[in-house]
Amino acid sequence: MITGGGPIPEVPARFVLRRGLARTHPRRKAVPRHAARKHHFKAKVPLVEIFQNILNALQFGSFYALIALGYTLVYGVLRLINFAHGDIFMVGAYLAYFVAVTLLGIGGLNLGLHMDPGLALAITVPVTMILTALVGVTLERTAYRPLRRKGADRLYVVITALMAGLVLENGNLALLGASRKRFPDMIDKVIWNLHGVTVTNLKVIVIVASILVFLLLQFIVTKTKIGMAMRGISYDKFAIPLMGIPLDTIIVVTFVLGSAMAGLAGILFAMSYPILEPYMGALIGWKAFIAAVVGGIGDIRGAIVGGFLLGFIEIGVVAVFPSTLRDLFAFSVLLIILWLRPTGIFGVAQTTKI
Amino acid sequence: MNTLLEVKNLKVRYGNIEALHGISFDVKEGEIVTLIGANGAGKSTTLMSICRLPPPEAPRVTEGDILYKGQSLLNMPPHKVVSDLDMALVPEGRRIFGNLTVEENLKLATYARTDGHEAIHRDYERVYQLFPRLAERKKQRSESLSGGEQQMLALGRAIMTKCGFLMLDEPSMGLAPLLMYDMFRTLRELNQSGLTILLIEQNANLALRFAHRGYVLDTGEIVAHGTSEELLADPEVKKAYLGG
Ligand SMILES: Nc1ncnc2c1ncn2[C@@H]1O[C@H](COP(=O)(O)OP(=O)(O)O)[C@@H](O)[C@H]1O
Ligand SMILES: [Mg+2]
Repeated sequence: MITGGGPIPEVPARFVLRRGLARTHPRRKAVPRHAARKHHFKAKVPLVEIFQNILNALQFGSFYALIALGYTLVYGVLRLINFAHGDIFMVGAYLAYFVAVTLLGIGGLNLGLHMDPGLALAITVPVTMILTALVGVTLERTAYRPLRRKGADRLYVVITALMAGLVLENGNLALLGASRKRFPDMIDKVIWNLHGVTVTNLKVIVIVASILVFLLLQFIVTKTKIGMAMRGISYDKFAIPLMGIPLDTIIVVTFVLGSAMAGLAGILFAMSYPILEPYMGALIGWKAFIAAVVGGIGDIRGAIVGGFLLGFIEIGVVAVFPSTLRDLFAFSVLLIILWLRPTGIFGVAQTTKI
Repeated sequence: MNTLLEVKNLKVRYGNIEALHGISFDVKEGEIVTLIGANGAGKSTTLMSICRLPPPEAPRVTEGDILYKGQSLLNMPPHKVVSDLDMALVPEGRRIFGNLTVEENLKLATYARTDGHEAIHRDYERVYQLFPRLAERKKQRSESLSGGEQQMLALGRAIMTKCGFLMLDEPSMGLAPLLMYDMFRTLRELNQSGLTILLIEQNANLALRFAHRGYVLDTGEIVAHGTSEELLADPEVKKAYLGG
C-alpha cells in the first residue's frame, strides 16, 4: 500500500469543463475580467457540462463510497482501521475477472462454459461478492482475531493490517506476474444522450448500486439485532457476550458485509475501467479511507457522504485546474474539513470506553 | 431444594498471580445468596470466572470446577452461558450500551432467545411495569439516563435475556440510598416470583439483611459462611465487615 504508485483512472478529458470557468485558469490570468465573463456566456453548453461533471462525480463517488463503507463498518465495530481493505477491493476486481472469464469461456478455469455475457454477469456479481467476503473473513481469522485474543496493542493491529495489504498486493504479483488483465465486456454499452449529457447504462448501474447498498446497510445497522449488536460492540465489547451474543459471529458478519461491498466495487470498477493491476487498490483504498474519515468514520452515512464529496471535489478540481493538481487539491480540501470538524461530518466526539 | 450453582475448589489466576485460592460455595434454587468482602477480595473475579468472559478480560481457571445444574461450565463459550443456560450477569459498573436507546438495549438482550414473540413480549411488559421510568425513556439514548435509571436498565436487560439465575456485581454502587432500597425491593419481588440471585456486595450490612445466606471472601479465600442471621451475629464478621 505504501508503494502506492497505482494509477487511478484519469477523468476522461472530454468531460472536463475548462472553457466555462476559464477565468480562474492560470494561463488566462492576463485576460481582462469582462472579456472572460463574455467568453463564459458564449460557451456553448456550460449547463450540459456541469451536469456531465455531476454525473461523473457521482460515479467516482460511488466507488469511494462502496469502499469507504467497509472501512467504516469495521472501524465502527472494532475501532480497527483495516488498512488491507483497499487491497480487498483489488482482490475483488481480480476475483470478478476470473469468475467472468471462466463463465464466458475465454480464460480462467477451463470448464467448457460459453455463457451469454448477461447471464455470466448475473452469476459473477454474487459469486465475486461471496468470494471476496471469504477473503475478508480469512483475514479476520488469521490476522486480527489472534491479536484480539491476546489483547494486543492497537499499534500492532494497524501494522498487521498494513502488512496484510502488502501481502495481498505482492501475492497477486507473485501469482499472476506484472502483466495487466483486461476485464471482459459483460454488458452492451448503452449511451443515452439527454440534451447533450451522455449517460451510459454502466454509470447509472454504478450510482444506483451504491445507493441501494447504502440503504441496505443503513437498514441492517439501525433496525436489525445484528446491527444493534454491531453498534453495541463499539461501545462495550465486554457486555456483548453477557447478552448471549457470540462476539466473534458479529465481527465475522461485519467483515462479510464490508468485504462483499468491496467485491461489488471491484466488479463495477473493473467494468468501468477494465484494466486490472495489483496496485489498483492502493490509492483508491487510501482515498476511500479518507472519505470515510471526513464523513465521520464509524457512521454509514458518513461513508456515503464522504465518498460522494470526494468524487465531487476531484471532478470539480479537474474542471478548473490541470488534472495533475487533482489529488493535491482534493486532499487539501479534505484536510480543511477535518480541521474545521475533526470528528468528520457525521462523527460525534468519542464516548466509547474501549 | 436443588442446587443450581456449585463452585468447587476454584483456583483462578491473572497471569502469574493467583486471585482465588480454591473457593467453594453453592446456590440453591430460589435462594438469595450473597458474597461479601472488602475491595480486592476477589468477588468480581469469581463472577467473571462463572461467566467465562473471553480473554483478555477473563481470569484463567487453573483448578476446580463450576457446575450449573450439574453441568460443568469450564469449556463453555461465554455467550452460551447466557443463551443456552438461564444465567445472567449484571456486571460491575452496569455496562449498558450507552450509544443505543433504552428500547434497543432491551431488544439486544433478546438476541439469542428462541422462545417466541409472546414470551418476549411478556418480558418487555414485565420490565416496563417494574421500571415505569424506562418506559418513559424508551427512545432516549441510554447514556443520558441517571445512575439509578441505568441500573434499572441493566437489570431489565438481564431479565430480557430470560434468566432464572441472576448474578449482580455491586448493584448498590453509586446509588443514592432511596434508589438503592428501591432496587433491593424489586430484587426481592423478582426472587419471590422464582428468580435465584447471587449478589456481590461491599456493603455487607445491606447484603446480609437482604440475602438468605452469605459467604465472606477475604483475599481469595472464603473465611466464613452461614445464614444471614448467623453472619450478622458472628463477632469476627461484625468486627471486620459490619463496622463493629
Ligand atoms: N484484569 C486483572 N488483571 C490482573 N489482576 C486483576 C485483574 N482484575 C482483578 N485483579 C486482581 O485480582 C484481585 C481480585 O480483584 P476483584 O475480583 O476485582 O476484587 P473485588 O471485586 O472483590 O473488589 C485483586 O487483587 C485485583 O488486583
Ligand atoms: Mg469488584
